[in-house]
Amino acid sequence: MTDPKLSVVISDDDPMIRDALREVLDAEPDFEVVAVARDADEAIELVERHEPAVVVLDARMPGGGGGRAAREIRLRFPNTGILALSAFTDHEMFREIQSAGVGEHLVKGASNSDIVAAVRRLGRPGRG
Amino acid sequence: MVHSVAMPADHPVEPEFAPPAEDAYRLLVDSVLDYAIFMLDPAGRIVSWNAGAEQIKGYAARDVLGEHFSIFYPPEDLDARKPWHGLEVAAEVGRFEDEGWRLRKDGTRFWANVVITALTDASGELRGFAKVTRDMTERMRAEEALKASEERFRLLVQGVLDYAIFMLDPAGRVISWNAGAERIKGYSAEEIVGEHFSIFYPPEDLVARKPWRELEVAVDVGRFEDEGWRLRKDGTRFWANVVITALTDASGELRGFAKVTRDMTEHRRVERTLTEQRRLVGHLVEAQELERRRIAWDVHDDSIQSMVAVSMRLQLLANRLPEKEAAVVRQLDEAVRSSIGRLRNLVFRLRPPELDRHSLVEALDQYLLDVAGSSGLTYRLRHELDHEPPSDAAIAIFRIFQEALANVRKHARASAVEVSLTSVDGGTLVEIADDGVGVGEGAGTPSDGPTIDHFGMIEMRERAETSGGWWSVGDAAGGGTVVRFWIPSTRGGEP
Repeated sequence: MTDPKLSVVISDDDPMIRDALREVLDAEPDFEVVAVARDADEAIELVERHEPAVVVLDARMPGGGGGRAAREIRLRFPNTGILALSAFTDHEMFREIQSAGVGEHLVKGASNSDIVAAVRRLGRPGRG
Repeated sequence: MVHSVAMPADHPVEPEFAPPAEDAYRLLVDSVLDYAIFMLDPAGRIVSWNAGAEQIKGYAARDVLGEHFSIFYPPEDLDARKPWHGLEVAAEVGRFEDEGWRLRKDGTRFWANVVITALTDASGELRGFAKVTRDMTERMRAEEALKASEERFRLLVQGVLDYAIFMLDPAGRVISWNAGAERIKGYSAEEIVGEHFSIFYPPEDLVARKPWRELEVAVDVGRFEDEGWRLRKDGTRFWANVVITALTDASGELRGFAKVTRDMTEHRRVERTLTEQRRLVGHLVEAQELERRRIAWDVHDDSIQSMVAVSMRLQLLANRLPEKEAAVVRQLDEAVRSSIGRLRNLVFRLRPPELDRHSLVEALDQYLLDVAGSSGLTYRLRHELDHEPPSDAAIAIFRIFQEALANVRKHARASAVEVSLTSVDGGTLVEIADDGVGVGEGAGTPSDGPTIDHFGMIEMRERAETSGGWWSVGDAAGGGTVVRFWIPSTRGGEP
C-alpha cells in the first residue's frame, strides 16, 4: 500500500444515514472513515482532532447545520475537502452552503458511486 | 248705477267712461263659448240659448227653445226628479249648484258643473232661472285618473309585506299603516294610528331622545337612515333598518314623514353565522397548514431518510452479490429511489409556503422556478399588487396556485405557463394560463385520470369560496387552459 488511505469524517444527525454512509465509504479500499459526528459542534471538533482529507456534512443538523460547520472548517482547516449532503433542493439551504464554500454538494439519494466519486475528487485532487 | 258715477276731476288721462250699451249684456252672454248660459221660464222651459250652450250640448237654439230643460238629464236623474228638485231649491234659496252627468243632443254624456240662479223682479216675483253649465269632463277624467293612480299606489304600499311603510304627521304621530308594518311590528292599524312613533324604540333610545333627533335630522337634510334595535308590540326586539324621509309640500312646508322600516334580524343572523363560519374556516385552514407541515417534516425526516439509508445499503449489497442476484437487488434499489422521488414531491407540495419570510410573489416565483426546473416548463410571472394580501388570503392563493400548477404539469401537456396577479376590488385576482390541450380535451382523456382532476377542481373552488372569493376554469385565449380566481383581502373576522 503505497498511498495512505483517504481519511473521512462523517457528520449526520440521522443514525441510519450515518451508518449506511460509513459502510458505503468504508467499502472503498482506499477510504477510511476515521470518525462519525452527530451535530455541527461534534463535526468541527472531530475535524480538528483528525484533520481528515474530506468531511461529509449533512446540510441540516443540530448546532447550526452543515453551513455553519462548513464555514468554520473552511476557515480553520483549508486542506479538508467538504462534501455537503442536503435532503432536497431547499433554496435557502443551497445558498447558505454555497456561500460557506463547500467543495461539492449532493442531494441525498444520489447513488453510492456518485458519493464515492465526489469524496475521491475532494480528497485526492488531480487524480479524480 | 255705480257705473254712472263720474271719475274724479284730477284724473285727466282716463278716457271718458261710457256706460254699456243696451245690448252689451246679450252680446257678452251670446259670445261666451266655454259656458252654456241660458234662461228658463219659471216652469223650466228654455227661453234663451247662447253659443257656449250650442257648443257644449250640441243643440242649436231652434232645437231647444221652448223645450223643458230636463231633456239634458239622463234617465236615472229623471227618475229621481232631479231637474225639478234643482229648480225648487233655487226658487227657495236663490241658487242651486250641482255636478253630474248630462246628455248632449247626440246622446253622449258629459260631466257638468251646473249653477241655477233664481231670477226675481223688484216685487219678488219669480221670473225664471239663469242656468250656467260648464263641461268638466276633461277635468273630471284627469281627477279620476289621479285618484285611480293614488289608489293603486296606496294599495301597493298597503300590500307590501317585507317593509313597514307608514306616515307620520309633523309631530311624529302615526297617520298611516301598511300590512308590512303590521307584520313586522305586530300592531294593527287601529291600534297604532295616532300613537307617537317613539313607541317602537327601546328605553335606552328614548333616554337618548333618539326618535326626536331622527326627525330633526330628517327635517334638516331631508332624510335619515339608521340601523338598530326596535320593539315589537309584544316587547320583543328586532334589528331594523330605518329610513325616514321628510315630506314637504310645494311651498316647502313640512307635511309629515314617510318611514320605511325593514326587519334585518334574519339578515343579521345570517351575516353573523357567515362571519362565524369564516372564522372557523380560518382556524381549519390554520390547523390544516399545521398538519401538512407536520406530515411534511415527518416524511422528510423519517421516511425519506430511512429509504435513503435502505437504498445505500441495497447498492452495497448489489456490489457484493454475484451478478444474477445483484440485478434483482438493483431493481429493488430502483424501486426505492423512485419512491423517494415521489415522497420528495409530496413533501415539496405539503411544505409550508414560508409566506412569513417571503412575500406572496416571491413564494410563487420560487415555486414556479422549482416546478419549471423539474418539469421543463417555461414560465412568466406578472404582478401588479397594490398591497400584500393578509396571511390567510396569501395561503389560500398559494395553495390554489399549487393545485392549478399540479394540474398543468399532470394533464395539460403544456410547454409554457403564464401567471398573473392583480389587485382587484379589494382582493387579488390570479390567472394561471397554459398553452396545453385545454379543458375540454384534457379533462376528457381517461388516461389522465379525469376523476382526480375533477377533485382537484372542487378543492380549488371550495378553497376560494370558503375564503369569500370565487374560482373558475376555462379555455385560454391562445388555446390551453386558464384558471382564474379571486380572493378578498378582508380578514376572516370581517364580513
